[in-house]
Amino acid sequence: MPETILEGRGLSKRFGGLIAVNDVDIAVERGEILGLIGPNGAGKSTLFRLISGVMRPTAGSVSFAGKTITGRAAHDVCVAGVAVTHQIVRPFRDMSVVDNVMVGAFFGRRPRPHGRVHAREGAMEALALCGIAERADTPARALNLSGHKRLEIARALATRPQVLLLDEVLAGLNPTETDRTLELVRTIRAHGTTIVMVEHNLRAVRGLCSRIVVLVEGRKIVEGDPQTVLTDERVVSAYLGTAHA
Amino acid sequence: MSYGLALIYGVLKIINLANAGFLMLGAYVTWWLFTSFHVHPLLAPLVIVPLFFALGWGLERTLVRRVLHAEPIISLLLLFGVWLVLQNLAYVIWTGDTRSIETAFVEATVNAGGLLLSVPRIYVFVMGVLVLIALQLFLTRTYLGRAIRATAQDRDAARLVGVDVDRVMGIAFGIGIALAGFGGSLLSLLFSFTPDFGRALSLKSFCIVVLGGLDSIVGVAFGAVALALAEGFGVRYMPASLQNLISFVVLVVVLVALPKGIAGTVRALRRGS
Amino acid sequence: MAAKPLVSAAIAIAALAVVPFVASGSEYAIEVLFLIFLYGAMATAWNLLGGFAGQVSFGHAAFLGIGAYATTIMTSSGVSLWLAVPVSALLAGAYSLVIGIPAFRLRGPYFSIGTIGIGEATRLIALNWTSLTGGASGLTLASAPPLVQQYFAALALLVAAVGLAAWIRTSRFGYALAAVRQDTDAAETLGVATTVAKTQALFLSACILGVAGSVYALHYLFISPDSVFGFSTSIALVIMPIIGGLGTVTGPLIGAVVYTFIREQFAATLANADLLAFGVLLIAIVVFEPRGILGIADRIRGARKKPARVEATDA
Repeated sequence: MPETILEGRGLSKRFGGLIAVNDVDIAVERGEILGLIGPNGAGKSTLFRLISGVMRPTAGSVSFAGKTITGRAAHDVCVAGVAVTHQIVRPFRDMSVVDNVMVGAFFGRRPRPHGRVHAREGAMEALALCGIAERADTPARALNLSGHKRLEIARALATRPQVLLLDEVLAGLNPTETDRTLELVRTIRAHGTTIVMVEHNLRAVRGLCSRIVVLVEGRKIVEGDPQTVLTDERVVSAYLGTAHA
Repeated sequence: MSYGLALIYGVLKIINLANAGFLMLGAYVTWWLFTSFHVHPLLAPLVIVPLFFALGWGLERTLVRRVLHAEPIISLLLLFGVWLVLQNLAYVIWTGDTRSIETAFVEATVNAGGLLLSVPRIYVFVMGVLVLIALQLFLTRTYLGRAIRATAQDRDAARLVGVDVDRVMGIAFGIGIALAGFGGSLLSLLFSFTPDFGRALSLKSFCIVVLGGLDSIVGVAFGAVALALAEGFGVRYMPASLQNLISFVVLVVVLVALPKGIAGTVRALRRGS
Repeated sequence: MAAKPLVSAAIAIAALAVVPFVASGSEYAIEVLFLIFLYGAMATAWNLLGGFAGQVSFGHAAFLGIGAYATTIMTSSGVSLWLAVPVSALLAGAYSLVIGIPAFRLRGPYFSIGTIGIGEATRLIALNWTSLTGGASGLTLASAPPLVQQYFAALALLVAAVGLAAWIRTSRFGYALAAVRQDTDAAETLGVATTVAKTQALFLSACILGVAGSVYALHYLFISPDSVFGFSTSIALVIMPIIGGLGTVTGPLIGAVVYTFIREQFAATLANADLLAFGVLLIAIVVFEPRGILGIADRIRGARKKPARVEATDA
């Protein structure tokens, strides 16, 4: 029986006259990799921000592991066990790669490491998993895009999340890097973390996700397994225009 | 003067502390032109505006540009340094003695239906309104004005649609500084001044801007009116030296109660978000 | 902590501790060192919030003033120094908590400009609350501990401040502050309670400045709103760490040395020439080497050897 670990009910977000997220229900099952797709501007990243506490919803509620977390500050949500990465990476540029990740290690879900050595160990584990352990002492600004994306993931991972929200981690990567990242995501899930991915790379999503939710113009229009969803005519027309439906 | 600040901040996303310095400088240059060259203070802006525009533009090109990509603290510190230099240069050149401009115009009053109105105050008010209108028109109706606004909102997007961002930033900075100098020139008609002149005003300007919300000129005007009202009340009940505190107290209260500033809160209430 | 800096520091402290006995004839030297210690402690305190956490405050003189006035008032009423100084420090800290509430609603440059207002407002309050502070005429202290005792008090304060800064730098708290400085919002998503961290840094810096204010009052025996709450004091607090190296442990002290030196040089000449010099210096640093003197030292070191790998600055 699939257990819902993270749930959003009736989530909406208005910016003045614009409704970015419109009454969205989303239920994430423990241990799954859930895909969140939709054309640009569909509200996917905004939905992530509502869930992670970066933004307050105009309406609706978010609950995690049975507890309501709506309106809680972002740091509280992270400590509770939901971590998020940013679509446009935000590394701490003047700090070293390992120091970046240590911030996550020091301040994530409890129990937290008790000292610098312990935190560094946790950080190096995350870095090793993400394949950038050898760059540990380089300044974060020296990495390329692929490195930054991995750093972003490692940092979030270091917070010991139960649910990891990945926002377009494949964007801008070449095919080799994409495959490596997909492997990474699988490994993270294998370690027991539930994953929700916003993605544009539909082929990747099809191969990786057990379920997919589709957002168009702020509304959820369909959800289900990849085969059903990706051939649904509403989804096809949303991406390609009605002529191709 | 708040408009200059809002303009500069918008384009450069930098709060221009140096504005206060240029305001003060505007007053001093007006005074200097008057006492040394017998230039009537009303004519001084003819010299000041282009001169300060050039100064602002030059400042942006040489110094500000270099720190655009660093942490915002850095640009703030740079402009703070410029302000420090300006203020203390003024002290060194003109000393800390209070200066004022004395001409017939400055003393003139007009009798309007029983109320004795000071001519310079009317003049400054009218000029202020004219400048505000001119600025609003410039920003909304001219290409350059819209280019400035576009750059303020999204530098990269503006570049993509063909705006010469470098030129625009230099111009916007120039305009902001020219406005500050002009403001200082106007204010020299009303008040006597020392090199410290800019600071209290800069603070008020900042309060106005935060109260009114930085993104709209209307908001800034609104903030200015609100503050003027608050100070009007204050004049009656508080000792003179505390008056400068008023703007600040209002700001603190607003900040604690309404984190989005007055205009932001009004907007939010109106749209029900 | 690495052994080498600790040993060098111990040697330096020992050497400085001996100075008053060796140079007992030169009161000037002791005085200058005293000032360097005091300014160094003050700059280090400011740097906790301004450098470590990246929240640049132009109003920190407020805490110095509170410490100075609180100690002066208490000792004049017969309270023992041993009680007055800690209480003054806590008062300054309490004040910082109160103003932190509205102040931290502002971000970045807004925050910095807001702090100008806070410093100004505090000065005006002191100026007008004549029943408590004596207004513009200020307050005087009847007597003071001998210069040598003051010297050691200032040295102790400096050692405490720098020691605290060094400990924070590599602690969990230090990581929080560094993250706040780099990217406050990103830090939030990693679980850092950013406002709490900023508030803690502010509180610590205020308390240290409170003690420094007490030492200041005991040294000059006269305080007035302009001398302790003045904007030029706040400016000094900002300039020193920038000259030496914003956000480093020893930078503020280096800046304090430079500051004291420049001030002594310019004291004889034009009244505002020193501030003018600082303005120019500030612009130069910000444009050419924002990391200050330590940054320049880093560059020289980096140019001398070809690094196999680049290390993040950690002075």
